[in-house]
Amino acid sequence: MTESPPEAPAPSAAAGLAERFGKMVGALSATGDFGTARIRVSPDRWVETHRTLAEHLPFFSFLSAIDWAGEVAVGDPPEGDVEERFEVFTRLSDVSKGEGVIVSTDLSKEDPRLATLVEVFGGANWHEREAHEMFGIFFEGHPHLENLYLPDGFEGHPLRKTFPLLSREVKPWPGMVDVEDMPTTENVEAGEPEAWEEGE
Amino acid sequence: MSKPPDSVTGDTEAPPPGAEQAPPESPGDQGKAKRRVVHDLWLSGTEAPVDTGRFTDEGAQEMLLEEEAAVLAGQRGTLVVDDYAAGVEPSTEQTQIVNMGPQHPATHGVLRLQVELDGETIRRVKPIIGYLHTGMERTGETLTFMQGPTNVTRMDYLSPFHNELAFSLAVERLLGLEIPPRAQAIRVLMTELNRVASHLLWAATTGLDLGALSMMIYGWREREAVLAFFEKTTGLRMNHNYIRPGGVAADLPDGWEEDVAAIEETVLAGLADYEGLLMENPIFIERTHGVGVITPEECLAYGVTGPLARASGIDFDLRKAFPYSGIEQYEFDVPTTEHGDVYDRFIVRFEEIRQSLRIARQVAETMPLGDYRSEDRKVTPPPRARLDQSMEALIHHFKIFTEGFKVPAGEVYEAVESPRGELGMYLVSSGGAKPWRLHVRGPSFANVQALPVMLTGSLIADTISALASVDPVMGDVDR
Repeated sequence: MTESPPEAPAPSAAAGLAERFGKMVGALSATGDFGTARIRVSPDRWVETHRTLAEHLPFFSFLSAIDWAGEVAVGDPPEGDVEERFEVFTRLSDVSKGEGVIVSTDLSKEDPRLATLVEVFGGANWHEREAHEMFGIFFEGHPHLENLYLPDGFEGHPLRKTFPLLSREVKPWPGMVDVEDMPTTENVEAGEPEAWEEGE
Repeated sequence: MSKPPDSVTGDTEAPPPGAEQAPPESPGDQGKAKRRVVHDLWLSGTEAPVDTGRFTDEGAQEMLLEEEAAVLAGQRGTLVVDDYAAGVEPSTEQTQIVNMGPQHPATHGVLRLQVELDGETIRRVKPIIGYLHTGMERTGETLTFMQGPTNVTRMDYLSPFHNELAFSLAVERLLGLEIPPRAQAIRVLMTELNRVASHLLWAATTGLDLGALSMMIYGWREREAVLAFFEKTTGLRMNHNYIRPGGVAADLPDGWEEDVAAIEETVLAGLADYEGLLMENPIFIERTHGVGVITPEECLAYGVTGPLARASGIDFDLRKAFPYSGIEQYEFDVPTTEHGDVYDRFIVRFEEIRQSLRIARQVAETMPLGDYRSEDRKVTPPPRARLDQSMEALIHHFKIFTEGFKVPAGEVYEAVESPRGELGMYLVSSGGAKPWRLHVRGPSFANVQALPVMLTGSLIADTISALASVDPVMGDVDR
């Protein structure tokens, strides 16, 4: 029912793809690292870019965001310096040719605002609501920018790096009760080495 | 809410009662005329699409194709069709809002549908999700790349292998890791068998929803053969954590070729039964023909993928468009149909079961020899026997599982064709041992978002049929 499979895009093919579409929309940068074609545009050309690309890449896959932060509440801090910003990105593809591109833009953390894409892709609706509640990014012109997953009145934006995972702070990891306390230096110096020797 | 969308006014397809009749002289006559219409329609069966909202009979069971096309045209890709229930006053006293779920058994999990009804006709649908939201993307940021598969395998719990595969492919792409041919073939075998299991479970539950109770038992029975093989191979029936960055956790068990052959025989025999039971069953045809239609344009705009898109005529299969794990070397077809209704989704999924079994057979015939995981010591722990001999091996083993391995900084998107569609992982590494960001593109998320498109303007009884045909897995929607 289908033609022969198209070749998987090699890394260089991804770079070529990014360059071709980047030129089309006047992108700030176009890269093909790790076999993923990525183009970066400025926030004020966000909708325009997608409108242009939609003619060539009609399939809207997803929209999401990344919080680039120097300090994190949970997990490992980034290796090296990062520029504080939100990065919003979408994935568009052409299902018949096997071409796909990541389109991204950077937003300032003080006032993260971006025009909505629901006019171009109706499917952006839920994705933007998710990015709104998880990162606190406002999508101007969105018809219904309410919480999608989180209950009404939830405070904070859980996918921001500053958001603590409270369950682990309120309630310690239950596995800890299995571990016997190690004897401290004070115990040993105070002449209580029994705990140490009992096991032998 | 600034402006109500146009589709609200567009979906009142049923003309007001008696609109096509001559204006009656008095209220009493009006009542009589209305009853006359009802009576005539009752006798004539499926004739005029008049006033379907007020009663139930054979005529009202028909999908009103002309009106439906008008409604869908207003929604085509550019207009948001859900989420405005709160802002718009019901235009007549006849409308009412009904909640289906989150505990409704036919919602396949904790999906809640708010349905505004005009009689039996659905005016608007609003899917409400989040009841199963567990913050897995954030959890993913706190686990190492080694621990990642244990997390993602719990998202779409009916296709755990696909979750693991997408995550592993992303990590391997960042590491620039070469995967041995045998590991790749094992991955293809397990994911394709997983597709069979998932589609069988879908057929079973959807049959149950449509009233075919025996289908439920049969589908479960055949699926059991596949799950038994999974258990034999991975030790678990679900959430396997079998496909990992660097390869797979263990080699296939002895005699696996016979197992795969037995699965193929069992499932193919069952499949013939299902098709006899369902596809030619007049009741089944009535409940599925022309129900839950979605057009190719809407599929593209809403990001609908998988069997839904293929039933609408979009020839989109990631195994062909963006091949992964060496799947391009096996021969298989991508079934497509053109009507985009529930019946066609049955055709597509049944055919996909056949094609997946075909791939599994080819894998069994051409399984390469070699290692089942990468030789790269950075990601692969030393063999168990080495731990007894070498202190360094023991330390290395310990460090891999406690600290994990560092992955070069970069961003990568890898997607696989899960039983529900495009399952993608957008993985960002900042150079450490844990992902900086893990975004999962869940196929069910996009498919459920398109439910209003499928349901607006149809009958409430068709909700169950259309919803079941989407095959939503709430673990995948909410994550």
